[in-house]
Amino acid sequence: MSSNDPVDVYGFIHAKLRARIGKMRQDRLVENLLKAPTLVDAVALLRDSPYRRVAEVYDRTGDLQQMELVLLYTEIEMHRLVTKYLEGRPAGLVDHLLAKIELDNLKNTIRLWYSSIVRRRPIRFRSEYLFKEQILTPIDWVALVNTTSWQEVQKLLSHTPYHEVVSSFTMEMIEEEGLFLLESRLDRAWYVRLMETLDTLSARDREVARSIFLVEIDLRNLATLVRYGRYYQMDGSDIAALLLPWGTVASSKEGARYLAQSPTERDALALINHFYRGLEVIEVGAKRSSSHNEDPGVLENLQIEEYLAQRRTELYQKILGGDPFTIGLVLAYFFLFKEETATIKATINGKYYGYSEEYIRGVIG
Amino acid sequence: MNLFTRPMRLLTAVVLEETGDAVVKALLELGVLDFVHLNRLDPAQMEKLSSRPSAISRTMLEDLRSRVEALLRQGHISLPSAQNLDVRRLEKPDMEQYRATLDGLTASLLSIKEEQKQSNQILMGLEEIRRYLDEDKGEYLDLRVGSIPSDKTADLAARISSFGGLLEALGDEGTLVSLTLRRDVAQVDPILEKFGWTEASDPTLQREAITVIRTRLEGERQRALAGRQESEKAADAIIASKREELFSIWSNLRLNELSDQIKSYFSYTNNTTLFSGWVPVDQSEKVREAIITASDGQCVIEWTEAGEVDRSEVPVAITSPKALKPFQNMVNNYATPEYGTVNPTIFVMIAYLTMFGLMFADLGQGLVLLIAGILFSRSYKKNPLKKEGMITRNVANLLVYLGLSSMLFGVLFGSTFGLDLFPALWFPYEAVVAGHAPADSLITDVYGILGLTIKFGIVIIYMGLVLNWINLARKRNFLTLVLDKNGIVGGLLFAVGLYMGFGFVGSGYHSFPSGAWIAPTIAISLVALLSRPFIHAVIEAKESGVKPKVGSLIMDGLMEWLVDVLEIFTGYLSNTLSFMRVAGLGIAHASLMESFRMLQDLAGGAGGIAIFIAGNLLVIVLEGLSAGIQSLRLNYYEFFSRYFSGKGVAYHPVGLTTSSRTRS
Repeated sequence: MSSNDPVDVYGFIHAKLRARIGKMRQDRLVENLLKAPTLVDAVALLRDSPYRRVAEVYDRTGDLQQMELVLLYTEIEMHRLVTKYLEGRPAGLVDHLLAKIELDNLKNTIRLWYSSIVRRRPIRFRSEYLFKEQILTPIDWVALVNTTSWQEVQKLLSHTPYHEVVSSFTMEMIEEEGLFLLESRLDRAWYVRLMETLDTLSARDREVARSIFLVEIDLRNLATLVRYGRYYQMDGSDIAALLLPWGTVASSKEGARYLAQSPTERDALALINHFYRGLEVIEVGAKRSSSHNEDPGVLENLQIEEYLAQRRTELYQKILGGDPFTIGLVLAYFFLFKEETATIKATINGKYYGYSEEYIRGVIG
Repeated sequence: MNLFTRPMRLLTAVVLEETGDAVVKALLELGVLDFVHLNRLDPAQMEKLSSRPSAISRTMLEDLRSRVEALLRQGHISLPSAQNLDVRRLEKPDMEQYRATLDGLTASLLSIKEEQKQSNQILMGLEEIRRYLDEDKGEYLDLRVGSIPSDKTADLAARISSFGGLLEALGDEGTLVSLTLRRDVAQVDPILEKFGWTEASDPTLQREAITVIRTRLEGERQRALAGRQESEKAADAIIASKREELFSIWSNLRLNELSDQIKSYFSYTNNTTLFSGWVPVDQSEKVREAIITASDGQCVIEWTEAGEVDRSEVPVAITSPKALKPFQNMVNNYATPEYGTVNPTIFVMIAYLTMFGLMFADLGQGLVLLIAGILFSRSYKKNPLKKEGMITRNVANLLVYLGLSSMLFGVLFGSTFGLDLFPALWFPYEAVVAGHAPADSLITDVYGILGLTIKFGIVIIYMGLVLNWINLARKRNFLTLVLDKNGIVGGLLFAVGLYMGFGFVGSGYHSFPSGAWIAPTIAISLVALLSRPFIHAVIEAKESGVKPKVGSLIMDGLMEWLVDVLEIFTGYLSNTLSFMRVAGLGIAHASLMESFRMLQDLAGGAGGIAIFIAGNLLVIVLEGLSAGIQSLRLNYYEFFSRYFSGKGVAYHPVGLTTSSRTRS
């Protein structure tokens, strides 16, 4: 019989995840990877880490994308392991985080399909880099990447949570506008289900989870406003459709004023500073500019995104120091874990292309 | 084996600067000097000394050595060890040349890996097609049989292969088979049309086409697989071809790192080099001779005995036989003993193995542990690079001892896989637990077992106390030796407590013993304990010349005394009773085996045998783990708390075997 006592629910998984977080910090794998002079040195570091399978794949295939697929397997296994040790409603939230991985896999599959069928570029072996087993929902990934019509794609997703969004797009829309809007709507749908899932949690867990995800949503909305409002200079109404309708940013007057302005008038720094003071004192911009010879708009965008990423990190650090018997620790662990795997991916790719440590740090923030 | 920590002496030496390198080499080869920074000279003299920054930073040396190790590991070559280091080959490293060598090798390797990646990608494409054929997923494939008018088969094949497809001749009459993925139909169709493709009308050719194309597909797949494997071997081979050079670079870098580490402790005047460090007494003559030889006799060497220095500054070295390594590790994991105190290793071994044997007494199960320990140890010896799993090297070695202990106590208690196959040499443990011990047995009920383990605990506690007294006597700390809760007074009160306790039990839990000496003994002991802080204050006042405040002395003294009394009366009692867990686990072990025996009898036949085996395995894993953990706990808490202060500083000499991971 499942217990409602937070200590019963979270006691074991708390101890397990704390040990893993401690090991992450102790091993300093990411830091050492960034410092590795070559790809060979980076792979050597992975041999002694929990990611040794990634190194083994490199030995066998020399293929970075196969290494990334192993990392994806590792992520999925991690989610399943945590779900195994949780019961009831908290496990449901972890399953929804796994659904995000499934959604990303779906987007990758649709992109490959688009490249093959719409753009008529042969994808060849690239479909082998997709995760083809069931993640959460039974989806025939093989059929999806091999189908030759959009109707068939919609049919293959008919019994999935993605059907509603996918079926609202026609082949003509896809051909003319590309996948950007489709992917944005899929992401939004995920967030809608997320908020519904949060409502099923216990009061304490709901409070903790909402405090995390509402900040996440605010940070994402700010990044959207800056990227599409300032850098891509999209119309206000188009950007508004991309915003997630929760948190403080989406419904704020400052956000509305920003959208109402013309693209050249929009002041991204002022917008950010309204919600998160201190952006003007960030030093990393200087570090970035020395290694990234790009235009000022890109640099500004990168600087802002890094600043927002730091706010996200601070949020999770705070959660780690809070009540251990809530869903907060689980969410913080997944954040750190995803950050680690994302950095590993970016670093091994950066080393492959011979980028310096400074450059790679500049990209990942 | 040293019963106490190894005696140490502090060396301080001055050599001419021109002989500094030779001296470094000599000291590195000996590897017995635990260097300290020179801070014992007076400030005026210290001002004349300077340090010298390294020509090549140690970080650069370490980074380059890491690169060499990464390459060797990529080539699946075992890393060189301290055995590969020869100080006579120590020379200034040519960092530029080393980097060029490593960069060149890395570039060649990455080029091979790129080829490997391409083979892998071709292989993946072919695997996808093969999978669709094998799984009857023909709907994902586009198989055509036809012909083209002109002899441009090679061109068409090249175009088809750009989609990952295959074009193969079918027979000798110009018929071709094309196999591509259905999703590429929109691009392949125009190509076929451009080449004038005509579909064959004979339907029987389809079947033949599948066979032909499968054969071709398999051939291509094998070629791609072989290509990928050849690249993997080539990557290893290219590194293997440079093995000697890499080992040489690694060795020189490592020697330079160690040399730099030694030099970081050196101080310099214009013409001389000064250094200082701790040496085990039994090595001091060797060190002296080595310095004299290396410096051509132009040196000054002074020795300071450990007794002249604060004990906490003297590094602690413990020598135990290699066979006792698992127990040495237990001690090291806890803390480092103080200099001059007892080496706890052998006592830990005796205590730990006895505790384990009492909790896990079985000849057969012990044999299983012994065999497991031997097998795992052998496996690690054969494969030095093997990653440690749940059974680490240390645990494997420990299992051998645990197995032997369990076997010995199994013989004493007459238990073999839970069966009484032979009479017990001491008493039949399982029969006692089951309640049908023979009348002439030394112990006839579980209370007897409980009593036995309590007595065992008393022996362990007193062993700890005696070790503490020896340590305190060697430290000449006679006040604590006599008047501490772990001193003679504490031991005496514990003995009185035991007398009272056993007397109470012996009276049938009716009354305590009433000797006339008891109350005065307790009273005198308590008063003696109370006097300690005041005596200590008087001694301190005499030494420092500073008188303590009377009020705070009385308060602090009383508080300290109250805490000590509380700790004596509750601590000794709880520590003694804690050993009942030895009985508890032993009884649980016997009870579990009894239960499995009953189930085995009930099931009978093959089922009974299966229960017998599964039951023994379960008990070995669960009870073995519990017994191991509880034995460790009893050692760390009940035993160590009596005598092991753990205030020592570990001895870390710089030598060829210095671990690169333990360097600060």
